[in-house]
Amino acid sequence: MDCTNTIRMLQDGIDGRLPSGESEKFRDHLAGCPSCRAEEASLREVGDLLRLWAAVRAREGEPQLNALWTRVKAGIEEGREPWYAAAARRWFWLPAAAALAVFALLFYPSDGTRAPFHPIHFDVSVETLESDTATVALVDRGKDLPRVIWIIEDAKS
Amino acid sequence: MARLLPVLMLLLSFSPGSAAAESGSPVTVDVGVVLASHDGSTVDPQLSSIQDKLRSMFNYSSYRMLDRQKRPLGVGQTGEFPLPGNRSMRVTPSPSRGEKIRLAVQITEGGKNLITTTLGLSRGGMVLVGGPSYQKGVLILILSAE
Repeated sequence: MDCTNTIRMLQDGIDGRLPSGESEKFRDHLAGCPSCRAEEASLREVGDLLRLWAAVRAREGEPQLNALWTRVKAGIEEGREPWYAAAARRWFWLPAAAALAVFALLFYPSDGTRAPFHPIHFDVSVETLESDTATVALVDRGKDLPRVIWIIEDAKS
Repeated sequence: MARLLPVLMLLLSFSPGSAAAESGSPVTVDVGVVLASHDGSTVDPQLSSIQDKLRSMFNYSSYRMLDRQKRPLGVGQTGEFPLPGNRSMRVTPSPSRGEKIRLAVQITEGGKNLITTTLGLSRGGMVLVGGPSYQKGVLILILSAE
């Protein structure tokens, strides 16, 4: 076998795809030809580098692949769920909300003592006003503000 | 005409004139006890609806709701509302005409008469009674009736 044939068969020889007779001739030539041996070593080295690069890329993409697999798996499992599972998942908050509403109704003061003040108007007439122990002032600052009866405690002031 | 009579009666039952007949109906007296002070600068969330009015009338920085009492009272029936600092407020609805409500109010402190007043207000009206000192501030009573 000459160098031209050996170089042509180099890739198949490295991959072990040569027929047994050809393979022996190929190996014999390589044993006696430093130039072809160097070429074969170089090609093997390139192959190793390519495999290493492919392995590194695969590892880099592992999280994305895992996430993709998780989604695919979830999709497969969802397909296996009973018909009511999706509805149950969508309305799971309803019993909790109902329980919360019952709880609020039971414990919220029913006499409106926590409701904010909502005066409709401040039209108040003070018909009589007297005090035995304090000075009392009636403050009227217009119809938009409530009237104020201000007690000035004589003994303390 | 006989067919219209029930309709007319129904309409009359919802007309404003019927309020005169209701003047003897129970009055819900609402008393809010607020501590106004310069201690801090917070306004109780329960006072949020009237905080602008409080701030424009008084110069206190803090308004804290200490208590809120709501009680239905019939005409001539006296309701006693305990107040902080050994004080008490007695409210008695008096006979009145139309939508008006008349309230006889007496505030006492340790048995002494602090103030006696008669107020005339329409349902939903509000009046403030303030001044008695308490802790680091003064009490402001929010008195309204419905």
